[in-house]
Amino acid sequence: MPLDTSAYSLALLRVDGRRWNELRRIHAQIRTQAAADGSSYFEMGHTKVMCVVNGPSEPGPRRGGTAAAAPGGGQSKDAEVAVSIVVAGFSSVDRKRVGRGDKRILELQSTISSALTASLHTHLYPHSTINISLHVLSQDGSLLAALINAATLACVDAGIPMTDYVAACTAGSTSTYAANDESADPLLDLNHQEEQELPGLTVATLGDSDRVAVLVCESRVQVGRLEGMLAVGVDGCKQVREILDRVVREKGRRMLQEGTVEKGVGLDEMDMD
Amino acid sequence: MTVTAAPQAALSVLPRADGSAKYSHAGYTVTASVNGPIEAQRRDEHAYEAHVDVIVRPAAGVGGTRERHLESILQSSLTQIILVKNFPRSLIQIVLQIEATPENDYVNTKLVQASLNFSIMPALFQTAILALLSAAVPMRATATASVVAVVPETKSKKLVVDPSPRELEAAQSVHVLAFTSQGELLLAESEGDFTVEEWDEVYETAEDVCCKSETSKSDVDMMLDDDDDDAGPADMHQFIRSTLEDKVAADLHWK
Amino acid sequence: MPREAEPSLNEKQFILQALQENLRLDGRQLDQYRPLELTFGDEYGVAQVSLGKTKVFAKASAEVTVPYTDRPLDGVFTIMTELSPMASPAFEVNRPNETEVLLSRLLEKTVRRSGALDTESLCLVAGQKCWSVRVDVHVLSHDGNVIDASCLAVVAALRHFRKSDTSMEGGVLTVYTPAEREPVPLGWLHSPFCVTWSFFGDEGETAVLDATRAEEQIRVGSCTISLNRHGEICQIAKLGGTPVEAVALLQCTSLALTKVKEFSTVLDRKLAEDSKRRDKSGRAAELTAENDR
Repeated sequence: MPLDTSAYSLALLRVDGRRWNELRRIHAQIRTQAAADGSSYFEMGHTKVMCVVNGPSEPGPRRGGTAAAAPGGGQSKDAEVAVSIVVAGFSSVDRKRVGRGDKRILELQSTISSALTASLHTHLYPHSTINISLHVLSQDGSLLAALINAATLACVDAGIPMTDYVAACTAGSTSTYAANDESADPLLDLNHQEEQELPGLTVATLGDSDRVAVLVCESRVQVGRLEGMLAVGVDGCKQVREILDRVVREKGRRMLQEGTVEKGVGLDEMDMD
Repeated sequence: MTVTAAPQAALSVLPRADGSAKYSHAGYTVTASVNGPIEAQRRDEHAYEAHVDVIVRPAAGVGGTRERHLESILQSSLTQIILVKNFPRSLIQIVLQIEATPENDYVNTKLVQASLNFSIMPALFQTAILALLSAAVPMRATATASVVAVVPETKSKKLVVDPSPRELEAAQSVHVLAFTSQGELLLAESEGDFTVEEWDEVYETAEDVCCKSETSKSDVDMMLDDDDDDAGPADMHQFIRSTLEDKVAADLHWK
Repeated sequence: MPREAEPSLNEKQFILQALQENLRLDGRQLDQYRPLELTFGDEYGVAQVSLGKTKVFAKASAEVTVPYTDRPLDGVFTIMTELSPMASPAFEVNRPNETEVLLSRLLEKTVRRSGALDTESLCLVAGQKCWSVRVDVHVLSHDGNVIDASCLAVVAALRHFRKSDTSMEGGVLTVYTPAEREPVPLGWLHSPFCVTWSFFGDEGETAVLDATRAEEQIRVGSCTISLNRHGEICQIAKLGGTPVEAVALLQCTSLALTKVKEFSTVLDRKLAEDSKRRDKSGRAAELTAENDR
């Protein structure tokens, strides 16, 4: 076991020196690519992802690998959200080639597509496609959460109407599933090492509410532990949402100052709230 | 697994397919579904007739060249009897799912590459025909198939209908023959070495299995309904016929 | 390929309206499964599960291979799910669609990654020879809730399966054919089952178990929870869809546990019945052998 779980109970500090309810450093930027309709860059500790949104636009020739959830984006009444994820070869320690048909990636794509479809007002754009392409530059745990956050930011930047932010983070528990000790603490925002050793889950919530859009747990854990982990996760999502909101507002303010955008009627309204 | 057991069949076993059938005989169990006529893909579309698509799926392991070979044999013979000209630009899709094959207890099999052989052909063929009938796909005739192996014995050679896996190993040649309900030869595939005389014998045996009653007796009406003649699988045509009669009777029971 | 027909507007409205009044088209309770049928084949490792009109067939098989170089002490265990046009003409051969990818990932996480099968017991000679166990899942008829049915079929097939007996003597590995020695069961650690909730309504406030195909087509989200009867979660997957209250998800989990316990009892009972049936014939076979001698 590379992770010494016994040290935690002594100092109540995790391997990277955080306390149980601390997020890692989150750094986010929006409008990073000038050519795209919307773009973002998101860091959660050492997990770094980039997102580019194009659309809503007329569906082009269908490419493979996209999550075709809605039957035929071209014909349906709602816009189709097509997500593609590229994992860079240098993103993790072992250089593993990830094929196009990798089922884990396909599952991530379908999850993100489905989570955002529920938040975006896709009914405003019939017969069209919103293309979200995500690039994973560096991986250190909480990959799905980082991807969702980046996609949300890029959609905000692209100006696609949505009900609220979809903010995500991970939560875990300090002992393995076998140990049935009651003293196990929940943990917030797992890094790669913790993700390997401890049970954990990824949560994404809609805005400030307690409503869970995505809940993915891939490890064995006692059912009694779920409640604590979920509560911590949902709480973490709210913190993440605050950070995302700050980034968006900061960028908006700066754009007004620089005169990149004129202070129009629509933006006036936005300033007021 | 007793090889002499009479064949068993059920029609319309799958609620969502247009037509389906389950058939088991000689240790083989096959379920078939037929969908059609449905919209054909551009690459399969034929301007004047329906494309018949046959998919054979082994119970374990992925299909390989042998399955493709069986598919192509089935496809070409079924295309002959389905009235494909009635449905231009469409597709008739037949999926044959193998559920059980007789096991050879004396050999440890390799399973990742499923390799089917001719002995499963009658089961596939009969199931496909039953499923097509259940889907009410128009056909010019029904057809049945049988497999005959020529097994060498100490002095002479012996013909075995529906050979077991062990007999198949020992066989010199294996033949699949299919006959339409009019008694015409629809399909003849052979592997191994054999003489013309042997083939003639095989032909007669297979014809016997498939359509004995048509050739020997003129009145075929009711006599096959008594079920005590299953010592040798009496006649495949009669079997298919009685299966359908039973199904129709059951479906129209309310009348 | 022909697309799956979508339910009409009237149908949608009708089903949704009924669900709001806690009614379902087939008269079930919201948290009630359709009649479950589980049968085993004549061979070992063949299980057929039907939930109403959904029919799934699973077959387990094993062969001796070389282990992966990075895991010399583990056997190989794979679950193959390939949806054929038999289930619905919308599925194409050799082109995995989303349903198939999600199904295979879920089974992978539920059965393989949760360590239900003891892969270390599949090792024969470290780094050289091991068993490769493989389960093929065939969906014969797709009328909703293929996930739960497939998971049950896979677990049932694996627990029913017997692999050939082996022995090691003086560095020589012998694999006995079924005729020489009675095959042996797999090293099984726990039995996980999937329970899928479907959510309806604008806020996903109505949760329904074992949705039919029509219900699946109009649901706004779903959540698959895999548990074993000891109350261990093996996997949870709520992959997007309309957001649902966290508290409701917790309730779903605890309700799922009771369902899993039911599944577990049913499977244990069926396995016991089957082994009793086999034992009878087994003894009869023994007797005839003695008489021959």
